[in-house]
Amino acid sequence: MSEIMIKIENLHKVFGSDLHVLQGINLEVKKGEVIVILGPSGSGKSTLLRCINFLEEPTAGTIEVNGVRINAGEEGKVRKSKILDIRKAAGMCFQSFNLFPHMTVIDNVIEGPVTVLGQSKKEAIPYAEELLEWVGLGDKRNEYPARLSGGQQQRVAIARSLAMKPEIMLFDEPTSALDPELVGEVVDVMERLAKEGMTIIAVTHELHFARDVSTRALIMDGGNWVEEGPPEELFTNPKEDRSKQFLAHILE
Amino acid sequence: MNEPKDNAFNGIPPEAIAVMQKNAAKQKRFRVSLTIALGCLVGLMFGGGIVLGLNFAFMGKWFGFIIQGIGYTLLVSISAITLACVLAILGALGRLSRNPIANGIATMYVSLIRGTPLLVQVYMWYLALPQIGRALEEYGISGAQSFLTLPAIPAGILALGVCYGAYMTETLRAGIQSIKIGQTEAAKALGMTDRQAMRRVIFPQALRVIIPPVSNEFIVMVKDSSLVSLMGVWEISYRAIKIGRRYFSSLEMLVMAALIYWVMCIILQTIQEKIERHMARGERRVS
Repeated sequence: MSEIMIKIENLHKVFGSDLHVLQGINLEVKKGEVIVILGPSGSGKSTLLRCINFLEEPTAGTIEVNGVRINAGEEGKVRKSKILDIRKAAGMCFQSFNLFPHMTVIDNVIEGPVTVLGQSKKEAIPYAEELLEWVGLGDKRNEYPARLSGGQQQRVAIARSLAMKPEIMLFDEPTSALDPELVGEVVDVMERLAKEGMTIIAVTHELHFARDVSTRALIMDGGNWVEEGPPEELFTNPKEDRSKQFLAHILE
Repeated sequence: MNEPKDNAFNGIPPEAIAVMQKNAAKQKRFRVSLTIALGCLVGLMFGGGIVLGLNFAFMGKWFGFIIQGIGYTLLVSISAITLACVLAILGALGRLSRNPIANGIATMYVSLIRGTPLLVQVYMWYLALPQIGRALEEYGISGAQSFLTLPAIPAGILALGVCYGAYMTETLRAGIQSIKIGQTEAAKALGMTDRQAMRRVIFPQALRVIIPPVSNEFIVMVKDSSLVSLMGVWEISYRAIKIGRRYFSSLEMLVMAALIYWVMCIILQTIQEKIERHMARGERRVS
């Protein structure tokens, strides 16, 4: 449990010339930890998550994922291939699912292994089917994404990420675009993933996941941490005023 | 969801069924009326031809000769659209490229070609290129002039292909840019390189978007292929003009040439609709 999976040092992100979204973030995540990041909108949570797999270019600082270390400002081919290594190790699920609409469900799930890992379709399909079964969508393998509900689409997206056998899963508000009655099925899959020992960082305000599943919760505001701790402690007894205000909002 | 089920009437109140039937009848009436209207218009055109005293026997006599030109029309159109597609892919990648040289060449290509008349370009390839060859020869490149003196058909194919490639570059670029950024992000998050994301995720989706405009361009090009008649290629319109002039029957011959182009374009449009329906299989439909 002590192996460090993610290490972020002094991370800054500036959009344009003066939008300083991340202001010197530090974070260490150990293998098997389930981290929840909370905070008001615009506080930089999603940007932080997207910096971890370099969908967003850090302006300054260092990011290390699964032993691959990249300093902001590095350039060249080595850096590019390091980014690909990080992305292979860290799966990501998006608020808007982003399934590939021109592919069936099963083709979505095998896309990573076939295109990125160079497996043949035949090799990739059995595990993809297993994953679809695991997220409860074995019977939807030949449907197109447009014919699925939001919750089903997000579960396919999770299966698509897991097909790459990642070491870490990043969830960027995975349930924010869902109708209330569909949130449960996605959270349930995330919870089972956590129980199987996956290292997870989730940006979510889903209370059950934050309180009962996560091992550590962090509150972010204005581009840096306000407070962190075990979830039950943070939720029941926040120390900072800013945390109290924010938690009062989401606990309503 | 999309197909009406057999037992769709289960639980639907009778007054709703009445409305549904009325709507269906209204739609059917519209389709029937539309067919009748189109039929009447075609009849009217035919009647107009009779009133004007078109010599149908003359048209029938020369139909065989004129339709023989379809080979050139198809050869020029299909070769040119193939060339245009290749140029459009290169051009669009260039226009989206962060490499200043590639981007510059693509931007200049689109600007120059779109900014000049096709007619001028056709003559450039056919009449002005040999002069460039001669200039090169004076710089010591022997054989340049004869190499750059193009026969009419290759010159026509190059002119049309290069010209439509420029327009299609912009169509394709817009198609690629219309795909939501989330698709690129999802592809990259899986570990795909830029090239893999383009080939596997973005391009197939962009292709679906651009089928209607590209078909449109192809249809326009089939008709613009008549510009090669300027260089004396015996394609449909050249034959029609020649015969029409010789027998003072330009009306008959031009009407016939027009009808042949029209039929070709109707066929192309049908093919376009088929492709569109095939490409839309992953889409949610508006019924």
